Amino acid sequence: MTINIENNNTDKTASDACNSCNREAEADSSRRNFIFGSVAAAGLTVAPGMMLYQTANARSLSDFSLEEGASSKVRWGMLVDTTKEVDWNKCVEACNKEHGLGNEKTSRDDQKTQYMRVVDVKNKGTGYSMSLPVMCQHCENAPCVDVCPTGASMKRADGIVLVDRHRCIGCRYCMMACPYKARSFVHEVLTDQTENTPRGKGCVESCNMCVNRIDNGQKPACVEASEGAIIFGDLNDPESPIAKILAKHGGKQIRADLKLNPGVHYQGI
Amino acid sequence: MCLHLNFNFGFNSCFMKKSLQKLTIAVSGLVLIAGVNTVNAKEVEHNDLGPKIMIPESSGDKCILPEAEMRRRHPDMLKHDRIQTLREGVRAKADGNALDGSLKQCVNCHAIKDESNKFVRINNDQHFCVSCHQYAAVSIDCFQCHRDIPEGSGDFHALTNHKNVNYSNVVPGTYSLTIKDMANIAPEVNSDDN
Repeated sequence: MTINIENNNTDKTASDACNSCNREAEADSSRRNFIFGSVAAAGLTVAPGMMLYQTANARSLSDFSLEEGASSKVRWGMLVDTTKEVDWNKCVEACNKEHGLGNEKTSRDDQKTQYMRVVDVKNKGTGYSMSLPVMCQHCENAPCVDVCPTGASMKRADGIVLVDRHRCIGCRYCMMACPYKARSFVHEVLTDQTENTPRGKGCVESCNMCVNRIDNGQKPACVEASEGAIIFGDLNDPESPIAKILAKHGGKQIRADLKLNPGVHYQGI
Repeated sequence: MCLHLNFNFGFNSCFMKKSLQKLTIAVSGLVLIAGVNTVNAKEVEHNDLGPKIMIPESSGDKCILPEAEMRRRHPDMLKHDRIQTLREGVRAKADGNALDGSLKQCVNCHAIKDESNKFVRINNDQHFCVSCHQYAAVSIDCFQCHRDIPEGSGDFHALTNHKNVNYSNVVPGTYSLTIKDMANIAPEVNSDDN
């Protein structure tokens, strides 16, 4: 499933991503200091990494209640550590399995739905290459939500951006607006969908951060398949492992210069 | 003035009484004839009088509401709860049970198996939803996206017995009720119900 993107368009995105990282670092430092200050009071004796992630992540998920629905006190986010030696295709496979993707029969490869894709980037000057998974970045100021004419493209109170297929008319304006190329359009009649991810012809769709799993108190499928390389949690809770690690070690957002404030952060890009 | 009026009324009521008597005789005669006819018609009713609805039996004998209510109100229930679930992230009622308009759980209970013991899909006339919607000529597009057969999650609604439930506060044909109301209308299964 790895897609080597070699067209000019994506090269530009990738190089911009790295440039913006450096620019972002300065702007981020004040924010990081702010969060760091609040974490310091909580105690820094806990070592960052797997231990921290496993213990505290469960707590923040169990706080979520089924009856009350999505709460704006929570902002779900992910932190992708690209420096870890992980086969990102495993995450893509887990995603496809969870959402029943890949059941198109007549669509071209570039028409088929991808919630998560693996982007390989290479610095032509130094020869350094790396790959990173790119999915819906769950922006705070999501352009897809802004442009949607019917209100189908929406942001839940807890920061998850998703498509309400009951309202989607398939105009694909959101696909144009998304700077991350995160969205796909279903071109053909589908059968045998999974019961938790209804999807069909004529609607735009994208990563929904496994909203059905989150509501059930589970972690997203890619997070479970990532062997700890993707951390999931509540960005608003300074006690959550993702916030602590972001506060201590920092993280980069792709195209942070667009000021969309994505919920997905990266390390090592 | 008064007399004149009275006379008029008297005349009218008298006239009406007469005509009413005639009408009653005529109607009762008709009813008699019709009654005799229906006895004969009943025998051929199901064979000759238009297409039949073959509503398949579901796996249980209980549903979240009585049959008549479900027939009338299920579209509203589905529409109401899909907004709750998708846009607001509400996945359960206040009592912790699943929402009534959960299509997944409707399908889990109402899935029909064919002779080879396989679930029939939405393109089959025997599919629970299709069986009635085809008869009523109401096309549904739910299953263009939603899964039409169970996946094996085994999630089911909290079911209620149709008997001994007070539906007096339910307005037929509407679904302007809150989730809390629905919880009251469709109580949990009591030990007696099993």
